[in-house]
Amino acid sequence: MSEAKTPRDFTYIKPRKRRLSEYEAVTCYTQPDPEVFDQGGWFLRTAEGRTAWRKESTRLRHPHWFDFRDPAALWQRTYVRMEAEQERAIERAVEDAARGGAFRDFDPVWAREILGAHYRVWSFFEYGLFRCFAQAQREALSDTLGNVFCFAAVDRMRHAQAIVIYLMDLEGQIDGFRDVGGKERWLSDPIYQPLRRLAEELMAIDDWAELAVATHYAVDPLIAEIGVSEIVRRHGPFHGDAVTPLIISTTERDRRRNAEWTQELVRMVIARNVPDSAANLEVIRGWVNIWTARALEAMEALAAVYARIPKACGTFAEAVSRAREAQAALAAGIQPNLGKAA
Amino acid sequence: MKNFVEAHNRVKDFDWEPSYAAKPVRYPTRYKIPAKTKDPFRHLLRDYFSMEEEKDNRQYGALEDALARSNAPARAERRWMEIMKVALPVLNFGEYAAMKSTGQLIETIENAELRQGYMAQMLDEVRHTNQEAYLVRYFARHAADPEGFTQAFKFRGANIFNRAGRAALETFFVGDPIEGALNLQVVAETGYTNPIFVAMTEVAAANGDQATPSVFLSIQSDESRHMANGYSTLAAAVSNPDNLPFLQADFDRAFWRQHAFLDPFVGAVYDYFQSNRSSSYGEKWNEWIHEDWVGCYIEKLAPFGLKAPRWYPHARERMQWLHHTAAMFAFASWPLQFWRFDPLTDADMEWFERKYPGWYGVYGAFWKEYGKMIDPRDKMVPLSLFQSLPPLCRVCQMPCVFPRPDMTTMRVKAHAGKMHAFCGDACEFIFDEDPQRYLGYETFYELYDGCDLADYIRKNGLLRSDGKTLMAQPSLDDNKMWTIDDIAALKIEIKNPLRELVP
Repeated sequence: MSEAKTPRDFTYIKPRKRRLSEYEAVTCYTQPDPEVFDQGGWFLRTAEGRTAWRKESTRLRHPHWFDFRDPAALWQRTYVRMEAEQERAIERAVEDAARGGAFRDFDPVWAREILGAHYRVWSFFEYGLFRCFAQAQREALSDTLGNVFCFAAVDRMRHAQAIVIYLMDLEGQIDGFRDVGGKERWLSDPIYQPLRRLAEELMAIDDWAELAVATHYAVDPLIAEIGVSEIVRRHGPFHGDAVTPLIISTTERDRRRNAEWTQELVRMVIARNVPDSAANLEVIRGWVNIWTARALEAMEALAAVYARIPKACGTFAEAVSRAREAQAALAAGIQPNLGKAA
Repeated sequence: MKNFVEAHNRVKDFDWEPSYAAKPVRYPTRYKIPAKTKDPFRHLLRDYFSMEEEKDNRQYGALEDALARSNAPARAERRWMEIMKVALPVLNFGEYAAMKSTGQLIETIENAELRQGYMAQMLDEVRHTNQEAYLVRYFARHAADPEGFTQAFKFRGANIFNRAGRAALETFFVGDPIEGALNLQVVAETGYTNPIFVAMTEVAAANGDQATPSVFLSIQSDESRHMANGYSTLAAAVSNPDNLPFLQADFDRAFWRQHAFLDPFVGAVYDYFQSNRSSSYGEKWNEWIHEDWVGCYIEKLAPFGLKAPRWYPHARERMQWLHHTAAMFAFASWPLQFWRFDPLTDADMEWFERKYPGWYGVYGAFWKEYGKMIDPRDKMVPLSLFQSLPPLCRVCQMPCVFPRPDMTTMRVKAHAGKMHAFCGDACEFIFDEDPQRYLGYETFYELYDGCDLADYIRKNGLLRSDGKTLMAQPSLDDNKMWTIDDIAALKIEIKNPLRELVP
């Protein structure tokens, strides 16, 4: 018998492409599962009787959650490298703007009303989402899923912190600018109560897949799009502000990435070869409907913020219409025929 | 941005009490944790990313560059490299479980200072999970014998020691989140990462393995922050006297659960798989666990009412024998494993006797006999030296042979219509506190009772790529490789030692 060639790579992972990627090698099957390799069940239960992971942590059903792959193929090293780059870009932009005197060009009303009053409140919303995703990573039913939730959580905290640090920079650069009253506005300003309600409703979601679908199919495309991209990023240049849009563009990059893996997750569970694909489709469409309605409600309240933009470029209704159109197209993409083999 | 302290204060002011939608209690805790405490983590994410990126560049750079080009792992001591096949996957689950534990803490502990620390730890744990999986793959590519590394994460699901490891490490995130933090941050990270990530790197380096120290020391640079998380969590818990009664009980249990697996396992890895010998696990244990962890760290908490773990004196007493017995069990049961064993030489045995006086009198005879059983033509496996396999403990999953087979503290008792074995007082006590926590699975013997050893090996894929040579071998001698036919000819049945005991 001729000697078979001894493999020099992991043999228990089915690569998505022809060869096992570095991402797959360092991620796949790091989460144990009695239905995969771990024989005999979980060794420990909580006092309340639950086990390490539970299939009922989501209403979606899939025969093998470990099939999921992050389209961005991120693992810790590539994630941290990317976020470090983004933060360096922000740091440099702020430093250059300070040295070049660019902050003097900022419209003072813009700085006070939109950056100081509105953008600061956004840090609380992001923090709420950080908490949602940090908890959801604990429950997700595979390592490839747990990691994308974990990275999404850190994305949110990064944005929340970036806002705080940036406003401190502005305090040093713009005469009379003070970062005060953000938390009070978040807690009691009527304009932001629908937004806070939305954050708290997201925090109450007890299904990790629902959280991803709600956030990336409804909340981000509507709320983040209007509250951050339209109001702040798009209007910055009209108010002499070339710096804030750069910070927001780094979070939009994160947003696109998170949207893509969520779409991949949806494709995976509604693929025709998945036994529960029809039921999954119904559940997901239900989630999108519920959260779209909730997000729209919170979005309407942002009209009052829009009205405070000194030099508004177009109307709030136009901005909303663009966001709704894009979000509707995204939601319409949830089609079983687009489901590819998982 | 100059005012770092102010920035840090502002990022800790994100928390609020929800008033529109009630957050479900996802991870019930009995602990009352004050809303403001000492801050274990004084970094902004911006600084954290750049710090971790630099560490990653250094560590992966070293592995990818000089060490890979020189194919260094292929020249490392083979005895040492073999044990990394089982040690790294166990450790890897510890990191992964830790990531889940920090997710629970972020969710449950309403304290902004602690939450910032848990967040960084959550991402650190992804880092460590990735680093260790990377290292396993690196060894699959470069080690002299890649078999075992290539499927380590699969094999860990059935392996008797990996199962015991999973049982110990599930405690990080299956239970009260603070109980998880005690297991993870206070016992495992503060107590045991020093012997694992620091002391073991000395052994690795002395045995020609430079890759493991690169990874482990990089990991340990994060662990110091996790120890700070543990201390702050513990300090927060002891600050409310209402917590003390269950804090002490949870702490006692946490220490025992970690000790019951880590000390026999890590000790055997450390002492029985080094070729170029230096310090012993016993010495490192005294330095890091006895003097440092109990003597300094836990002592400092005495004024708050927290005492050294209840079973600590018993654990210390067992340390004289514990890992020697575990190693004997591992070598004796070598066909069940997925790595190779290198018999002890006379020089090894002299070292053991010098480091652990009295060792030879207890274990010497076994090692003499073991050395005679490595050639398949002799048709003998060391399992035949024992009447039967020992039962496994219902709580810790370790064989009930401790501290020594001739003076074991094992006991067996009936519960809910079944017989259960316990390795000693502590595990039995822990079981009795809440039996349902430990009954939701089948033991190794319940899974394989009556199975022929050769069938077990086939079923679990423990064969090399030629389809006949065993993954595990009793020696490193390539001319004395056992095949599945050699094992099948012995007709050894895996027998549940509790099979004939009727409740």
